[in-house]
Amino acid sequence: MITLQTEFKKIKRKKIGLTMCALIGIQFAWLLWSGSHPDENERLDGWISMLYNLPLVSVIMMPTIMSVLASRLADVEHKGNTYKLLNTLRRPGTLYHAKVLCGILFILAISIAQFIFIIALGYARGYAGHPEWNYYATAFVLNFACCLSLYLLQLLLSMVFFNQMIPLVAGLGGSMLGLILMYVKMYSFLPWGGFLSAAQVSMDWNPATKVIHFYYREHSPVELCAIAAIFVWIVVFYAAGRILFTRKEV
Amino acid sequence: MPTQNLVETHNLTKQYGKVRCVNAVNMQVPPGAIYGFLGPNGAGKSTTLKMILGLAKPTDGGITLFNIPVNEKNRMKLLTQTGSLIESPSYYGHLTGEENLRIIQTLKGCSEKDIDKVLKIVRLDEARGKLVNHYSLGMKQRLGLAAALLGFPKLLILDEPTNGLDPAGIQEMRELVCSLPGAYGMTVLVSSHLLSEIDQIADHVGIIRKGELVYQDTLESLHSHSKEQIAIRVSHTAIALDLLRQDGVEAAEEDGYLLLPMVDDAYVANLCRLLVAQNISLYRIEKREKSLEDIFLSLTGKESSL
Repeated sequence: MITLQTEFKKIKRKKIGLTMCALIGIQFAWLLWSGSHPDENERLDGWISMLYNLPLVSVIMMPTIMSVLASRLADVEHKGNTYKLLNTLRRPGTLYHAKVLCGILFILAISIAQFIFIIALGYARGYAGHPEWNYYATAFVLNFACCLSLYLLQLLLSMVFFNQMIPLVAGLGGSMLGLILMYVKMYSFLPWGGFLSAAQVSMDWNPATKVIHFYYREHSPVELCAIAAIFVWIVVFYAAGRILFTRKEV
Repeated sequence: MPTQNLVETHNLTKQYGKVRCVNAVNMQVPPGAIYGFLGPNGAGKSTTLKMILGLAKPTDGGITLFNIPVNEKNRMKLLTQTGSLIESPSYYGHLTGEENLRIIQTLKGCSEKDIDKVLKIVRLDEARGKLVNHYSLGMKQRLGLAAALLGFPKLLILDEPTNGLDPAGIQEMRELVCSLPGAYGMTVLVSSHLLSEIDQIADHVGIIRKGELVYQDTLESLHSHSKEQIAIRVSHTAIALDLLRQDGVEAAEEDGYLLLPMVDDAYVANLCRLLVAQNISLYRIEKREKSLEDIFLSLTGKESSL
């Protein structure tokens, strides 16, 4: 707990919260822009369409946001060459856990802000009825899990590489890859495609009538395996990060 | 086995690939000492200190701190009684000096009052509110020392603490280090590649060369090697040596010379008369002086960069 407390002391004046707000603000602007003038049909499908849009925005934005978050948290140590001091005060494993927990708290705040925003936006636009809470809750958990797997991957890279351009480029590359995966199929075993696998909603688009029909997904066994892969990545990246961090000599 | 030394290493070895950076080092740091760990660049000083602090894992050998053999379980507990400054100071440049120390104080679990005390000791109390990025190198180095002093540990490990400092900063750091055992009862293990620096601050010295500890004793003992001597070359060295010893002179033979401690001119004249009276021919009388530098170079090798 004390080590986690010092993590927040270390990032004073680094404006990580502000940076996260700015990046999430882009997501919000995107969601605000899409369906800004809903007609009656769109109001009927409003809540379900929101759950369709959210993973699409996340798959593009979140890899970059997670790389920025991990990089900012790790860079304070690289710049000040602090591990050779910190490792005499705390076990490297404890320091790693503090970084992970600090990131988790940021991700939790981001995820909560996302869902508060989309729910508030839905009510403001006058969507019919109320959100289907079970689907929204599942979406929240899976969205959080996807962000966590990407954060752990980025933290690993940010701690290994002194030059933070490398993990940041990896994050941007992840965003690009997510964009490409989106056009291939709605699931992926890659960590950057987890948002697609975890999507609760799919849609049919009729080219003749140009009408979009949203529906809640019945995940096939392969798609369920892709969702399970998100949690496998969490374990893999966590373990790899911990091993690399604790064995690294400073 | 319990020992009286505060720090002991037992055949401490570190190998990177096929290169042995530290080879079977047996260091012994007595309590209350300022132990100067001397050696040319790349001799293995930092690696040895890092192994003592657990920052690098030894390939072989062991370490005893405060008479307790260090292992993975007790390492952190033992390190709570140490402070360290390895190579360059560690700091968060975007925080003030005081904020930096507060982080270390929280992690060390020592009193908040220590922050004020150590800032005064290193004379940074007026710059406590300034961002460390705006500090000079000397100030950063002093902040690093302040961080090491937090909690007033029993053992302070300083690796080249005067690196990059100007002459005034070096003098200031030297005075500070020298005052620590007397003022706070600390034992200081300080490394340097400069003989003159160790000569001015240490009372014990260990000299490392190519990973091997080639000398370890008190600084006084090292100085005794540098005393002036009279060297005499004669026709019958063995007979002359016996004569001198019978006369109560502490003489020794080395490379065909008789070596005597420094004596006055009158004594040398008497000695000559004594030897000539015994039909021993005198070929040469020289005054020899081995400087501390000569001793250091003979131990570390002249080819080493200093």
